[in-house]
Amino acid sequence: MTALARTIEALLFIAPEPLEVATLQDITEESPAMIARALDEIAARHAADTGLELAEVAGGWALRTRADLAPACDRLRARPREDRLSPAALETLAVVAYLEPVTRREVGRLRGVDVDSTVGSLLDRGLIEEAERPQSGPVTYRTTTLFLERFGLARRGDLPTLERFELTGPEAQALRARLQQADLIAEAETGDG
Amino acid sequence: MPALDSSAALTQEVQIDLFQGPFDLLLTLLLRDEVDMLELPLADLIEESVTPGSDERWEIDAASQLILLLAAIADLKGRRMLGEDVEDEPDLDALAMREALVARLVAYAPFQRAAQWLAERLRAAQGPRYRRVPPGTAVPVPVRDDPARLRAAMEKMVEASPAPSLEHMGVRRRPLPELLGRLRESLARLREVSFDQMVSDCDRLEEALTLLAALEMVRRGEAELRQDVPFGDILIRGTRA
Repeated sequence: MTALARTIEALLFIAPEPLEVATLQDITEESPAMIARALDEIAARHAADTGLELAEVAGGWALRTRADLAPACDRLRARPREDRLSPAALETLAVVAYLEPVTRREVGRLRGVDVDSTVGSLLDRGLIEEAERPQSGPVTYRTTTLFLERFGLARRGDLPTLERFELTGPEAQALRARLQQADLIAEAETGDG
Repeated sequence: MPALDSSAALTQEVQIDLFQGPFDLLLTLLLRDEVDMLELPLADLIEESVTPGSDERWEIDAASQLILLLAAIADLKGRRMLGEDVEDEPDLDALAMREALVARLVAYAPFQRAAQWLAERLRAAQGPRYRRVPPGTAVPVPVRDDPARLRAAMEKMVEASPAPSLEHMGVRRRPLPELLGRLRESLARLREVSFDQMVSDCDRLEEALTLLAALEMVRRGEAELRQDVPFGDILIRGTRA
């Protein structure tokens, strides 16, 4: 192992959160290319049969435990019970992740419902936070580092393009047909002659 | 916001004499008059639809949708039997509203799918654990400081504060019984005493207590009070003499 790789491995070992390449550069005074090579070396060293793995997550690099060791790790350290996110919370999170920084109003307009409580619970869970307050105007929200970690995303915006999720022509047509059907039923229901 | 895939009720298979297939197809055929509403065995359809198969659980969205549909069909059939015409010309407002709703659902659909993608991501990323520093880890307190300085600091804290002095609280006051006695004594010697004279050497509180003593004597019938002018002197006259 090169001296640089050893140094970076040590830094990753003691760092409480993922380390950005810029931070590694500051500390080691090496070029990004050298650091990338050293990271490759560390990743190779932590092969699949070791307890740790090198991961690019939340805008930086982290040494983390392998997924199959979670039960043992959780016996050492009580992990808060995985609270399940409701569909509403997940959808709100998706809107924030794609449109950040975004105001509560914009989220509400897209969702078509009041989102105050959902936004509140996402804030409480630490998955979103207030983005930097603009000079004037409403508060905007963005996703947090915890969100990136929890969802295993390498960095902000590490998401499939939204276009990928758009409805195709036939799907939109099917949606229209279904609404039409619902309308006919509603008419029959309310049209008391 | 109706979920795009909450149409479980619509795709449920129904099997009645008249028709076998998914629910929504039956509905479409009914609305297009390709299946005669009057022929529809409504009771069979309802029994067939709401009897849960095996031990599958009812999903609240699907179940309520299904019940709404069945109610609508029952309503339609009722009208048809009474000979009412259910075919209306399309309402332009309703059409515009529907188009607006379609547009909104189409715009929102990508986020719903993105949410599903996120949910899968969350499941996939559940395993690894990260190093965490417990919040609020404080800087350790230095222990090898000069003991004398520690002691000096400690002494300042444990030093007893001086007991509060009451010296500034003024002279000792005579209590009510004493003032009462003094008043009786004066009245034993003189027929009448002036209140102002009685209290000439008293402070305000004693003055008030003397008045109380005088009033007490009036109550007991030992004395009478007289005041010639408002706020003037009060003459206290004993009644025993």
